This record gives sequence, structure tokens and C-alpha cells, in this order.
Amino acid sequence: MLVQGFHLTQTDASGLRILEDAYFSFPEGSYTVLLSENVMAATAFLKMLAGEYRPPSGTLRIDHQDPYAFSSSQKRRWISEVGVVFSDFKLFSDRTVEENIFFTLRAKGFWDEESLSAVGVLLSKAGLADKAKLLPEALTEGEKQLVMALRAMIFRPRLLLADDPFQGVEAGSFGILFRFLSELNKTGTTLVLSARQAAFLEEVKKTENNPAIRWTQLENGKVYSLEEKVS
Amino acid sequence: MNFIFRLGYVIKEGILQVIRAKGLSVAVVVIVAATLLQLSLFLGVSRVLDHLFASNNQKFEMAVFLSASTTQADTARIQDFLSHDPRVDSAQLVSKEAALAEFRKDSTIDEMVKALGENPLTDSFTVVLKNDAIDQADSLAADLKKDSSVDDVSYGKGEWETLSNLIRVIRWAGLMMAGLVFLTALFIVANTLTLALWGRREDMLSMSRLGAPGWMRWGPYLCEGIFQGFLGSVIVTLVLEVIRRAAGEALQKYGGFDILNALPAEEWISLYLHLMVMGIVIGAMGAFWALQKKWVKEIL
Repeated sequence: MLVQGFHLTQTDASGLRILEDAYFSFPEGSYTVLLSENVMAATAFLKMLAGEYRPPSGTLRIDHQDPYAFSSSQKRRWISEVGVVFSDFKLFSDRTVEENIFFTLRAKGFWDEESLSAVGVLLSKAGLADKAKLLPEALTEGEKQLVMALRAMIFRPRLLLADDPFQGVEAGSFGILFRFLSELNKTGTTLVLSARQAAFLEEVKKTENNPAIRWTQLENGKVYSLEEKVS
Repeated sequence: MNFIFRLGYVIKEGILQVIRAKGLSVAVVVIVAATLLQLSLFLGVSRVLDHLFASNNQKFEMAVFLSASTTQADTARIQDFLSHDPRVDSAQLVSKEAALAEFRKDSTIDEMVKALGENPLTDSFTVVLKNDAIDQADSLAADLKKDSSVDDVSYGKGEWETLSNLIRVIRWAGLMMAGLVFLTALFIVANTLTLALWGRREDMLSMSRLGAPGWMRWGPYLCEGIFQGFLGSVIVTLVLEVIRRAAGEALQKYGGFDILNALPAEEWISLYLHLMVMGIVIGAMGAFWALQKKWVKEIL
């Protein structure tokens, strides 16, 4: 999905202005990492892209369409192609890890056994096979974060918006998640994620097959491209 | 096939949510059961009255007294008229001798008859009206009185009307009370289910964020209400059946009128089925009402 913003103004949850006549464009299939000193600003920015936080002024276009102008059925169709990872988007506490991911697949219309069996494979790759039948309360914070990310990726969304998906993820799982995200991007998914940890940057540097990440800074109400940072 | 999968999913999730809601589920089931118990009282009384009244209707009799000068030909003519009249179910000739024998069973009357020295009675017909012709009793009596051989026609239409009106009043009052109880229960069930939804608002929000289709988001909640209503009705049915059996036996044992078993078994089964349908309706409507709350609609 192509994500574009023109003359955008936006405030964060505390009312602080985070965008001021801002422009940005994330091409289809791109991998954008958003850096910001203000944690709430990055969250608000991603929620705005997810259609959850209407900008007071300016134009937001996703695949040339305004997600805030959709009817409820259009919006549902659009959401079904978007994966999100937000810290307040918790796992269902009364469903097992496996059932949490099953629910996502079913919500997106995947009811066949083949799709459901893919969940087991994914959990194995993520090193969570033995946690599949556990409730989220039995997981560590890092494992929960990993499951939340898997839930957003399992259906191969066209756009993945992730607010610091690496937060709390254990060192052993960090590389796994990074690889999953890169693989998803290679299949054509547009990724926009915020990252705060230096460990993330280290992981990117040591990755042999370094994805074409577009580094972007959110600062002083503007969105800057920082292409030079990875080179 | 997809529809069956989805229906299976909604039913399974509905049952799971009843289990997950624990305390609130118990509250809803108890409210539904208490409501149905009250409704069953109104319905049960109404049915017993209907049944007793229907039995009474079948015995709606009219006595047609013939004059002393009536000949056999006159009696045969009147019998022929009655046997062909569409309002009449049956007509039985009671000779004055048979009537006297019946009277003499009472020792006081027997003494009076002995004092008179002769049979003061006349031949008569005992006429049973058809159930749907009871309101035509007056016209039949008038037709009969036109015949010079008929001395008098006697029937308790006034009493019948009083009883009929009384039953009608009891039935309407019962229905109005049942309606009020039903609405009150609906209100309480809806608000209890709203509380349950409030406790799961984060899950509901997550479902919306995942883009789950409408039936997947509200279907299980609706199903939950239906199951809770059904459970309440099953409990009431079991309680009523136990009461019917236990109280029936006790009433028979102590020689009372077993009003509970005055209704035939099929009437009780019909009552239970009606209660189950009402339980499901209360649960479904309560859940639907809860799902119509503004904040729920905004999330879902």
C-alpha cells in the first residue's frame, strides 16, 4: 500500500502538536522505520495511519484513498488488509496463544485447515511451539509482544503498522522477529514501524541481507527522511 | 459449508462466553429463571382455568319441562326437533317416573312426595348444548317455548356468564402482569449483559481492530444471551416438574383437589415448551438490547 500525507497536522494523546503542515510518502512495498524522541508522537502518528486518530487538517491518502472517509463496511474491508501492533492492542486474555492467532485468521476470512495449521509452523519458527496452548498470562512480556507481532503478520497484510514491536522482546527472539518482518516485506507488504531500542539498530547492522530500510525522523512537527543513517 | 463452520464458531464461542462470564452468567440465568417462574404461574393458572372451564362447557345443560298434557306424539316431535337442531349436542328424554326416582333419593323430598300422594313431575328433556352454541342458549330456549307442549325451559346461563367473565378478567390481569414481569426481566437482563460487555470492551475493541466481520463480533454475545435464557428456562422446567409431581402426590394423599394434575400431561409439555421459547426470547432480546447501547455500537 502506498501511504502519503500532505499538509498534515496532528496532535498526540496529550494534545501536543506532533505534525505541523507535514509531508511524507511511503511507497508500496517499502520498509520504513520511524524514529522519534517523543514516544507518544510515534504512537499517535501510527494510529493516524491505522485510521484510528483522525488528523485535524491536511490530507492522508492510503492507496490514494482517505481512510477517514470510508463507510463502516469499506473501513472493515480496508482494516482486513492492515496489520497493527500497538501496546494497547492486547491479546485476548481468555484464549490461548494459538487461539489468539486463529482468531485473527478467521477474522480475515481464513477458515481452512491449511491456514490454521500454518499457525503451528509459525509458532515453531518463533520458538513458541511449547507455548501454543498457554494463556497469555503465562507468557513473559517479550513473548506476548512476539505473539502480538505474529498475530499482525500471519495473514500477510498489505500494510503493517507496528509501534515499537521489539519492545521487551528477549535478545534470542529479537533476530527472529526482525527476520519475520524482513521476509514479510519481501512478499510486498509495506512496513511502517517505530523503533526505540539501540539493539534494533545493531540487529540491522549485523544482518547480512540488510533490507532496504527507509529511516525516517519525526521531529518538530515534520517527517524527515534519514537515508544516510544506514549507509 | 462455510456457513456451517461459522455457525459452529458462533455457537461454540457463545457457550465459552457463558462459562467465561461466570458470576454474570449465573445472575442472568437466575433472573431469567425467576421471571419464567412468575410467568409460569400466570400461564399455569390460565391453562388450568381454561381446562376446567372447557370441561364445564361440555356439561352445559338445559332442562326442557313438558306440560302434563303432552302426548307421546308431542314428545316424539320435540325429540325430533332437538335431534336435528345444530345447536344441540344431545337430548335425553327423562320420564317423570325416572325424575321422581331421582328426587326420592333425597329423604326430605321423598317425605314430601309421599304426602302429595302422586307424582307432581312431568316428562322432561335434558339437553346438552354444543360448546360453540352456548351463547345461543337463549334463542334455543325461545324456540322451544313456542311449542305449546313445552311448559318451561331452565338453564344456568347467568351463572355461566359470570364464570366466563371472571375467567376472562383473571386471564387478562394475568397477561398484563406477565407482560410487566417480562419487560422488567428484559430490562434487568439487558443491563446485566451490558455489564458483561463492559468487562470485555478491550476484547471487543481488539476484534474491531482485527477487522472481524459483524457476525463474528456480535454473534457470540447474542448467542451467549440465548444460552443463558435457555438455561434459565431449563431450570424452571425442572423445578416445575418436580413441584408438579411432589405437590400432586401430596394433594392426592391428603385428599385435596390436585389442581396441578387437573391439566393433562400434553398441556404441561406445551407449557414447558412455551417457557423455553420465552427464556430464549428474553435472552436474545436482552442481548440485542445490550448490543444496541451507543458505546457498544461504537466499539463493535
